[in-house]
Amino acid sequence: MAQSAQPVKKRKIKGDGAWGYAFIAVALIVYALFTAYPVFSAFIISFQEYKPLGSTYIGFDNYTATFKDDLFWKSIKNTLVYTVLTVPVALLLSFLVAIMILPLRKKLQTVFKAVYYLPVVASGVALSLVWLWIFDPMPGGIFNQFIGWFGAHNQNWLGSSATAMFSLVIMAWLSSHGASIIIYLAALLGIDDSYYEAADLDGASFLQKLWHIVIPSLKPTTLFLLVTAIIGSFQVFQNAYLMTGGGPDHATTMVGLLIFDNAFKYFEFGKAAAQSLILALIIALVSLFQFKFLGKDVDY
Amino acid sequence: MMNKGKALSLMLAATLSVSALTACGGNNNKNGAASPAASGSAAASGSADSGAKDTITALLPPVSPTYQDNFDQMEKDFNAKYPNLTLKIEPASWEDMTQKLDTQVNAGSPPDIAFIGSDGISKYVQQGMALDLTDVATPEMTGDYDATPLEYMKNGTGLYGFPAYMEVHALGGNKEFLEAAGIDWKNVQKNGWTYDVFRDAIKKGVVKNGEATSRYGFVFATAGVASKDYLGIMAKSAGMPAAFNKDLKYAYTSKNYLELLTDLRQMIDDGSMPKELSSVDAGKRWNMFLTGQTMITGKGLATFENSAKKNNAKIDAKDGSAVKDSIKVDYIVLPVPTFAGAEPVSSTVVDGYVAFRGKKEPTAEHKANIAKAAYFLSSGKVAATTNNDLFAAHITKSGREAAASMTIDRNPDNVAAVETMLSHAAPARPDIPADLGAKAIKIENEVIVPKMQALLAGEIKPQDMYDAVKKAAIDAFGQDGIVQD
Repeated sequence: MAQSAQPVKKRKIKGDGAWGYAFIAVALIVYALFTAYPVFSAFIISFQEYKPLGSTYIGFDNYTATFKDDLFWKSIKNTLVYTVLTVPVALLLSFLVAIMILPLRKKLQTVFKAVYYLPVVASGVALSLVWLWIFDPMPGGIFNQFIGWFGAHNQNWLGSSATAMFSLVIMAWLSSHGASIIIYLAALLGIDDSYYEAADLDGASFLQKLWHIVIPSLKPTTLFLLVTAIIGSFQVFQNAYLMTGGGPDHATTMVGLLIFDNAFKYFEFGKAAAQSLILALIIALVSLFQFKFLGKDVDY
Repeated sequence: MMNKGKALSLMLAATLSVSALTACGGNNNKNGAASPAASGSAAASGSADSGAKDTITALLPPVSPTYQDNFDQMEKDFNAKYPNLTLKIEPASWEDMTQKLDTQVNAGSPPDIAFIGSDGISKYVQQGMALDLTDVATPEMTGDYDATPLEYMKNGTGLYGFPAYMEVHALGGNKEFLEAAGIDWKNVQKNGWTYDVFRDAIKKGVVKNGEATSRYGFVFATAGVASKDYLGIMAKSAGMPAAFNKDLKYAYTSKNYLELLTDLRQMIDDGSMPKELSSVDAGKRWNMFLTGQTMITGKGLATFENSAKKNNAKIDAKDGSAVKDSIKVDYIVLPVPTFAGAEPVSSTVVDGYVAFRGKKEPTAEHKANIAKAAYFLSSGKVAATTNNDLFAAHITKSGREAAASMTIDRNPDNVAAVETMLSHAAPARPDIPADLGAKAIKIENEVIVPKMQALLAGEIKPQDMYDAVKKAAIDAFGQDGIVQD
């Protein structure tokens, strides 16, 4: 008893330690307001029939309705297909472009980095207008003219189930690699020259250097880009919303678009919140899987 | 002692935090002259005695080309008429209007008035956020409007705003091409046409250049924001003027619906419409019309005559801003054909100024002030100017009077054709309960629109689509809740 009655020693926060807390407070407040609170709020709303003038608690109804909804599963399937088709190719393209930019002079490198990064900062709506023009279904459309040179008939790119998803995938393949290219370039520049010198002395070819030096050295970067790209791909919304609206016949309805529709078209915020949390759980599981099986021999 | 570097850093960090907080709560302006989002609750909580100062907020899109340029004058004119009242207008683009309003509504702090389509009223009524003006709309106000458009602003027994205009959804023809195809367009304007007559006419409008089609008989926008238009407009003249019949049974399970779907597909199979129709959006089909790639376009609104005339003037003036490769077009208003032997019923769009409430119940005085502002915006000089700008028919006595002194260059045949169509406009259906309406909207978005895209793309048959709609309707309304003929 006597021992437990001893006064607890207070830790004093002073000096640079206090300053540290003061500065992280900014990020913490922003995080609490714009991430933690909305997530907590979404969790509460997912158990409610949301109405601005007073919501009703309905237990797990929103979750049950979601699991019974064929459209939800179709949207999950579409999102998975989109992710599988876009992420690996996008990473490969970013890697190849970074490899091609690397040997260039610094000024030329900067030019290419800026060019490839431009779509990232450009308005998605403006870009989608350009893509709508490219995918014009009439014979005068850019892609239709292109395939016409090879004798193919014009395609209804965004209006046919056979080509709508593929059209969105092409969009992803040909745009928004800027961030990945810059990250890969930074990682490539971080590889010690001594590895290449040793390989040169051993008479290694370009491909051998690529396989034995570059790819292993870039594994942490690749894992990071893979995880973030898959998260981004699962949350894809804008392209489907602006280009196809999810059609035709829900061929391009992604889960992000479905959540948006439930919230803002039908005002079913409870169902939308439940679907958001299920999506978050799926993303967390996929990310966990990647770290567990792909990140085994990755050192940071 | 705090060194200068740390002090400066802390100040910047604090500023960043405060900025973030300000972004969250910036709408709660205490002076009452805040953005629409703020005033609903602010005004609602105010105890406004008769003649007390009050602010009415309105979220308004660019209703006509010059509409938003007149906002300052509209605010001044309103204040001159009601010196104790302030009209605070927040402009919005058409693109973000719905999202902006829906976000504010769901946060419980909408504007007092928003300009929306009357078909959107039911969802806000269902949420309890639309404000019933029945008890504050004076007989002088309601008596000023034509009866039909005013009915569109009702849901159940409630009146939720005032209409700005009532436009008819028509088709638009190129006079030269119509005459070249031997179509007596004046007769069609007066007496309408059946699907069979229309089908033959658009076949005659097709021009082939080898295997390729250089001009189609008919192109209707079906993609993007126009995705609901085509079927919705045609269904009116196929014996289904609304999603529910008078017995409140879901109508799109009728045999007429299947016949309509078959006819719509047939026009593509005939080659009179492009096989890529499912990707043709509103901008594309207007471009096709102005560049001579189609004889008839849809949907057509009266204002398109104005757009065509402006482009003609640019071509005459060799103005580079004329639509690329466009030709001069005499725009002819044409009615939608009738299907399945049904009577013609014109699809109309009634947009107007809808009233909203915040989380707190507004005072009677504030409600009355909202009615005054909605009436001011939808009648008299404001309505006359806006509707003339749109080539839209006037629907208030005060608007007609104010417009009498304004000149407008319209084809008299088109004016008469619009009046004919308005004479058999689809009646308003305030009797459809909000929950039924919401279910019908969900079927439209989740089944009809996606299946229609597939039908137009040739991926499913009309029967497949009909079956899918019927299944969804039975799931939503039960066997007894649908039309079975």
